[in-house]
Amino acid sequence: MITKSKNSRLLMFVVGALAVISSVRLWTGQDALTSSSTIGTALRLTVPILLAGMAGLWAERCGVLNIGIEGMMIFGTWFGAWGAWQSGPWVGLVLAILGGMLGGLIHAVATVRFNIDQVISGVVINLLAFFGVRYLSDLVYVGKPGGGISQSPPQKWALPRFNLPILSGGEVAGWKSPDVLGRLETNRWFIIGDFGGITRGLTSDLSWATVIAIAVVPLSAWLLWRTRFGLRLRSSGESPVAAESLGIKVNHLRYYGLLISGGLAGLAGGTLSIVASSYYRQGQTAGRGFIGLATMIFGNWRPSGVLTGAMLFGYAEGIKLVASDSITALFLFIAAVSVMFFVLAVLRRKRTQIFVALGVFVLSAVAYRTIDTVPESLTQSLPYVVTIVVLATANQRLRPPAMAGVPFRPGEPH
Amino acid sequence: MQAGSAKSSQTLSAESANIVELKNISKSFPGVIANRDISLQVARATIHAIVGENGAGKSTLMKILYGLHQPDSGTISVNGYVTQFKSPSEAIAAGVGMVHQHFMLADNLTVLENIILGSEPTKIGVLSLGDARKQVKEIATSIGVEIDLDLPISELGVGQRQRVEILKVLFRGAEILVLDEPTAVLVPQEVDELFTNLRKLVATGTTIIFISHKLDEVLAVSDEITVIRQGSTVATVLPKSVDRLKLAEMMVGSDLPSHGKRTTKVGATIQLAAHNLTVLGKDNKNPVQNVSFNVAEGEIVGIAGVDGNGQFELCEALLGLVASQGTIEISGTDVSKLSIRERLKKGLAYIPFDRQREGLMLGASLWENSLLGHEQQLSRGPMIDLAAAKNSCREIIERFGVTTPNELVPAFVLSGGNQQKLVVGRNLATAPKILIAAHPTRGIDVGAQAAVWEEIRRSRDAGMSVLLVSADLEEVLGLSDRILVMFDGEIAAELDPKSATPQILGKYMTGTR
Repeated sequence: MITKSKNSRLLMFVVGALAVISSVRLWTGQDALTSSSTIGTALRLTVPILLAGMAGLWAERCGVLNIGIEGMMIFGTWFGAWGAWQSGPWVGLVLAILGGMLGGLIHAVATVRFNIDQVISGVVINLLAFFGVRYLSDLVYVGKPGGGISQSPPQKWALPRFNLPILSGGEVAGWKSPDVLGRLETNRWFIIGDFGGITRGLTSDLSWATVIAIAVVPLSAWLLWRTRFGLRLRSSGESPVAAESLGIKVNHLRYYGLLISGGLAGLAGGTLSIVASSYYRQGQTAGRGFIGLATMIFGNWRPSGVLTGAMLFGYAEGIKLVASDSITALFLFIAAVSVMFFVLAVLRRKRTQIFVALGVFVLSAVAYRTIDTVPESLTQSLPYVVTIVVLATANQRLRPPAMAGVPFRPGEPH
Repeated sequence: MQAGSAKSSQTLSAESANIVELKNISKSFPGVIANRDISLQVARATIHAIVGENGAGKSTLMKILYGLHQPDSGTISVNGYVTQFKSPSEAIAAGVGMVHQHFMLADNLTVLENIILGSEPTKIGVLSLGDARKQVKEIATSIGVEIDLDLPISELGVGQRQRVEILKVLFRGAEILVLDEPTAVLVPQEVDELFTNLRKLVATGTTIIFISHKLDEVLAVSDEITVIRQGSTVATVLPKSVDRLKLAEMMVGSDLPSHGKRTTKVGATIQLAAHNLTVLGKDNKNPVQNVSFNVAEGEIVGIAGVDGNGQFELCEALLGLVASQGTIEISGTDVSKLSIRERLKKGLAYIPFDRQREGLMLGASLWENSLLGHEQQLSRGPMIDLAAAKNSCREIIERFGVTTPNELVPAFVLSGGNQQKLVVGRNLATAPKILIAAHPTRGIDVGAQAAVWEEIRRSRDAGMSVLLVSADLEEVLGLSDRILVMFDGEIAAELDPKSATPQILGKYMTGTR
């Protein structure tokens, strides 16, 4: 019964959000808001952030802060690109994971074995990765055609992309199936058109790497909440003293957690240098490791939350890339959503929420009426602004692993 | 190998009545000898109490039995077999389970997750949550415990958390249950409930080892009592053959000062007063609601209450650590707008609730800890006067009987009782006008407790006003001139210690009256 009402509430929420954004699209004529190309781009941009967020989640769930995700991603971009350049994209992805795991192992040895401060170790890994791969590039890439100190030679093969059959016109054994969602999208009807655009964006031109990345979310949730390994790993982050008193080897689990964390960060880097582009470039990670940490906090240290956060950032970045003039339409969308929150807040008689919703409505309405073009530098900072707003507002209800960041020395009197 | 097994089978036949035997256990930590040649025999299906001062080595001994520490020498036999537990999991496998003094629970995990952690029923690594739930429910009903398995621990009260700890141990099939100061955190009604549960357990054949320094409880509930002093066993006695005073003297090794009647009189001038003090809460609930009281010169006003009913916030408000509405007066002047330092200068001193979190820097040396708050008196210009600071620390150590090699060791080396003596000493050394003492003797032994009480009494006789916050009813009843009971942020009752009993106090404290 409970799950049923939860599902119907979720359905209502989705339909409501669709209705709002659809109205905004029709009102402003900005079809890019929900076009399949925007959503497709957003999905591709979501993937590295999602994996970085999951990397942070695995580390903190086992009790270790991982500021070094950015560095582990850099290892992933470099080793991934090298592998893909040498032996193709699949080998590249595997090497990207191994490269990230190397970073995770360094972090584990430093923080778990030698009790070095977790923040310092993470920062050192970021620096080590940045300069380390530059040194490796000097050894390996300099002098090769298209390669240099700050980039690798381009890869010859890319990962195959595909459309889902029937839904988005994928091919099955040579038969070109109909593109149902594509047809829905082109009619641009209220809600239906937006539904078509969004779902087609999610089901067409897919890379296998994207599928793997999305699969990490349910897989992690299942491992962490449904298996013995996961329960023990979480207990190492929540109360290592209690875990130890029950005979659980906390430090072993922290090694595993950090290796998984590093592997995911490496995969995140690999998708940047193998899927999103076809070569390694210095600075390719562009702070996504830190955005990943922000999605982890936004997602309240839960896989589904991290996915939601990553999609939010991915969408903000995607719309900026595909149609930066649609951003003004987003102001209207925010205004409309704040009206909905306003009504809810009035019904629940939450005074602070009423004022916040009202304030956001006024600000975004004014912004929509007065701003015609948003300067490039502002649109580029949008994901970061979203990060700050989210962190500031979500702060109250967050429940991080209680002992994440606290060193644990087994066998001491406590 | 052959000789070893022959020996253990011999042990089995000779002493099979005893389920646990510890022989000549010694254990030392850097700078501290915790156990010295301790021996202990526990008979099957009995409640065996271990009493002793804090720092006497009870907890260390039990941690050795549970495999958390390894003894330097000596042998452990369980069920007649000589064993060496290298880790808790080996102890658990041998049927030994432990409920720690500080609960070993993960706050964000659910009750069920906490109970099964470490011995999860699984199918190829995947948790069998349904089976686990059924098993836990069965155990819970068998000892008469009712609890929602899906709540996170953070939403449970102290008594419920303890029940989770006990279920956790029973879920592992423990035959021997070690309880480390189980009643320290409970109110009288909860204590009775716990003892009923324990009695049911013993009836099913479980053996219980019960660590405590509350002698009345020990005498009431146990079948046998072993007294430990300074790391060694003093004697094992039957509860019928001793009384409270005799037991206490065995623990301390000397005659105890008794709760003497006060010979001095409460003064006339009001030194500390609060009028309609309210601390606003985050939600609609205020942790302190309209609290008014006053404390006269030379008076001890006890505030009794179950933890979490606003005492903590009240103390913080009086000190100025949290914002409050209403007025606070020290010697007739309104101090509610003054900073913490200014209030302290007016003669306020504070013994905080949690000595380890708020009272001490555990990693810093004793003299640095005793310097805290007195930096101005103990410095020359901008520099700390090292010699004077160390000297003043040595004075505190001597006057308050802190057991320590010297003033240079870090605070974490000391036992809880000695840490507390240092905190109390630091606050009383400067002869403050008003003392706010929150749980001044929580978790410390009778000897240290008597010493702290004596010091508080002496300062009171010299005219100091004391606001004594405590959940230890014996302490509140024995020390106070007046008792206020706090429940749910308000003062629920004002009682005269001469006519109040623990039962009456307990009812007000739990809001049942």
